[in-house]
Amino acid sequence: MSVLAPIICDNGTGFSKVGFAGNSDPSFVFPTAIATRGSASQSARAPAVPSKPGHLASKRGVEDLDFFIGDEALANAKTPGYGVHYPIRHGMIDNWDHMERYWEQTIFKYLRAEPEDHYFLLTEPPLNPPENREQTAEIFFESFNIKGLYIAVQAVLALAASWSSNRVTDRTLTGTVIDSGDGVTHVIPCAEGYVIGSAIKHIPIAGRDISQFVLNLMRERGEMATVPPEDQLKVASKVKENYSYVCQDVVREFRKYDEEPYKYFERYDGEHSVTGRKYSVDVGYERFLAPEIFFNPEIFSSDFLTPLPEIVDDVIQSSPIDVRRGLYKNIVLSGGSTMFQHFGNRLKRDLKQLVDRRLDASVAASGSTQRSSGVEVDVISHKRQRYAVWFGGSLLASLPDFYTSCHTKAQYDEIGPSICRRYQIFGSST
Amino acid sequence: MNLQHSVMSNVLRPYLAAVRSTLTAALTLENFSSQVVERHNKPEVEAGTSKEVLLNPLTISRNENERVFIEPSINSIRLSIKIKQADEIERILCNKFTRFMMQRAESFIVLRRKPVPGYDISFLITNTHTETMLKHKIVDFIIQFMEEVDKEISEMKLSLNARARIVAESYLTAIQG
Amino acid sequence: MILLEPHNVIIQTTILEKLQKPGSLDVVFVDYDNVRFHLSTPERKTQLLLSMNIRCWDELVQYGALDVLRREYGSLLASKVEPEYNVSLEIDLEQAPSDPEAREAFVESLALLKRNALSAPFERGFETQKQLESSGGQGELMQVHYRDEEAMYIQAAPDRVTVIFSTVFREETDRIFGKVFLQEFVDARRQPSIQNAPQVLYSSRDPPLEIRHVPGLRNSEEIGYVTFVLFPRHFTKSVAPATISHIQLFRDYLHYHIKCSKAYMHSRMRYRVTEFQKVLNRAKTEVATTERKTASGRTMVSR
Repeated sequence: MSVLAPIICDNGTGFSKVGFAGNSDPSFVFPTAIATRGSASQSARAPAVPSKPGHLASKRGVEDLDFFIGDEALANAKTPGYGVHYPIRHGMIDNWDHMERYWEQTIFKYLRAEPEDHYFLLTEPPLNPPENREQTAEIFFESFNIKGLYIAVQAVLALAASWSSNRVTDRTLTGTVIDSGDGVTHVIPCAEGYVIGSAIKHIPIAGRDISQFVLNLMRERGEMATVPPEDQLKVASKVKENYSYVCQDVVREFRKYDEEPYKYFERYDGEHSVTGRKYSVDVGYERFLAPEIFFNPEIFSSDFLTPLPEIVDDVIQSSPIDVRRGLYKNIVLSGGSTMFQHFGNRLKRDLKQLVDRRLDASVAASGSTQRSSGVEVDVISHKRQRYAVWFGGSLLASLPDFYTSCHTKAQYDEIGPSICRRYQIFGSST
Repeated sequence: MNLQHSVMSNVLRPYLAAVRSTLTAALTLENFSSQVVERHNKPEVEAGTSKEVLLNPLTISRNENERVFIEPSINSIRLSIKIKQADEIERILCNKFTRFMMQRAESFIVLRRKPVPGYDISFLITNTHTETMLKHKIVDFIIQFMEEVDKEISEMKLSLNARARIVAESYLTAIQG
Repeated sequence: MILLEPHNVIIQTTILEKLQKPGSLDVVFVDYDNVRFHLSTPERKTQLLLSMNIRCWDELVQYGALDVLRREYGSLLASKVEPEYNVSLEIDLEQAPSDPEAREAFVESLALLKRNALSAPFERGFETQKQLESSGGQGELMQVHYRDEEAMYIQAAPDRVTVIFSTVFREETDRIFGKVFLQEFVDARRQPSIQNAPQVLYSSRDPPLEIRHVPGLRNSEEIGYVTFVLFPRHFTKSVAPATISHIQLFRDYLHYHIKCSKAYMHSRMRYRVTEFQKVLNRAKTEVATTERKTASGRTMVSR
């Protein structure tokens, strides 16, 4: 069979993660952005028609090759004549023309792979309409002639990624995925590789909000006075990434800080991005308050007030009763905003309390003397959390089953794009 | 070139006019339940179960490579188009284009997912369509499709040639020493 | 992006990154033409091992690839090659030049590993041509089977070097698009601005005379042969490196552009389909719908 590693392509709303199966990290992580000729506001629906074939010195007719993707797209955002577009919105592909060209350059400029020689694993958000799968297949098989294609749901890949944790003994695809990126946090229950669509919940708190919250806290304390305004948000997100952790008890944590400020306060040194002037700020309570907005959202937002553990509990309670045990037992974290230290422990503790309280209440209500054996709650943290979806793809595509689960070019040619509406779930040992 | 072009469009016009009037005449559809199976109501031209409700099919031909085949029946009409394909490039482009459209047949209500054998693309108009949509506008759509599909295919061919030339020139310019 | 770049982006970005901040590493990746790379830190964080597997290695060695690589990389060339790979480079990050420009150039040269290995038969061909100028005769026909079904053939003559590519189009669309493209390569020299470009010949099915005697050539519909005739002006000392970089990527360049054209066709068709859609939507009669709601305030939707 093919000796060349399959290509894993995880195109998210903000960032795309692409690379080869078998690696532990994606080869490229860059923004899902494309800079094309023509302004961003003008909806460039009509493809430029080569006006006069014959006048070729001006390179008319290949305008559609004049574009940049990823970091280069953002770098060219200010170049006159270019406009930046984001082809994916809310996880789904919004502009197919841009996406097709985005993939084109990903493959030929960055990966330098001949698509005819490779299998591809792509990801999609839960509840993606099957028509989108068909359109994706149409692009990959007809434009790029790829060997074979597998489209996997992101949440399922995140579950697969948790198999790398040494605490996981059975490779199951049943579990609850908490996927928190930059824009939004999703809680997605999966049973045996299939997403339970009706129970999915979204939380409007994610990375961006945490940075903003850190910024607010530091401004209130007056720390940001020395930081140039254009760098403030960057400093806040650096503080969030480098110093924040989840505490077990906020009140005790405050006391600890007040007793021994020198032990717990940190110093952040920065440099002005333009002038190079140095500055430094103190980092204090925001170290543990930042991720606290997941557990006590009222400290940041006034319209969203449900803590994350409660949402997770709700999601599992609205899933079919026969999978609930499996969902409580295997709660998997994915995405950059779940990377805080002790995040998993805190979530586990809070959720366990909720579940136990409910069990006790029902025991008391039934009036019986028999006690429930309890529900096992476990939250899995692992090293590959940041790019968990991509890593799960890399893991699955390295299995021998991957090739038989893919739809091949020959099958596509025979049956057509509708073949990609269904994919076999594979890899789990249960 | 210009002269030839105007001659062409002169020939095209009566062809389209013939299709338009034939189609308009044929679009007199009524609700009709199956005579064979109880409680079935299917496009008779597709089901083909009762001969007496099928009308005579008719071919309108512009030349040997371009023709329209209209099959009327009591509650439905099937119109199939053979699109001009002068060479293998046009053949492959036409094939790509029609397949791309039929892949999206869901949103084209009157488009059939597969063409009738011997044709490139087929439309199926039933009495439900004529009841919910404006009849003359459906005809307009088909005529406009016929007009533009030829234009689109020849434009695609031109742009392919133009691209090929630029690609070849850019490459050779880079190694001319 | 019209022309493909000769260097590998992953090698370039990864090594630049590791020069800034050394760390352990173990990645596999590919390049055009069935080339596989493995970049790792087997012993310590500052000692990178870059290994390459290339399908036609044995042929390349025969045409002097080792000499070329030794010239380019010198002591970096590892004496012990990593198993399953053909050639390994040992890169000590601490020994890398500290001057930013020299450093860039150093990384760039590493990223050109595949290009340099593949350039051996071309360099030999160019040299042979120089020798033949005085002695006459024909150079050896060098064959490089760089893909499963495709190969390039290089032969020197007293006044020219001929490079022949065989290329396979697996799909009918590709074959027809490819024909259009190759015809333009043949015709391009008529343009006054590029009269100095190498002459290009193209034949589908039948292999050109130079390689007709080579055993095992297929002649079927989907195969095409492209001949480049390079004259000494195309490989003078100053332009030879650029010529080699471009010509060895010819097959990939061609297939890249065939795919781009298909992508362009897709966007045209998407546009056209939405236009037709608008026309058809005009036929829909507007039914005045009053919103119907249930007692609880939900809207009724008819399917």
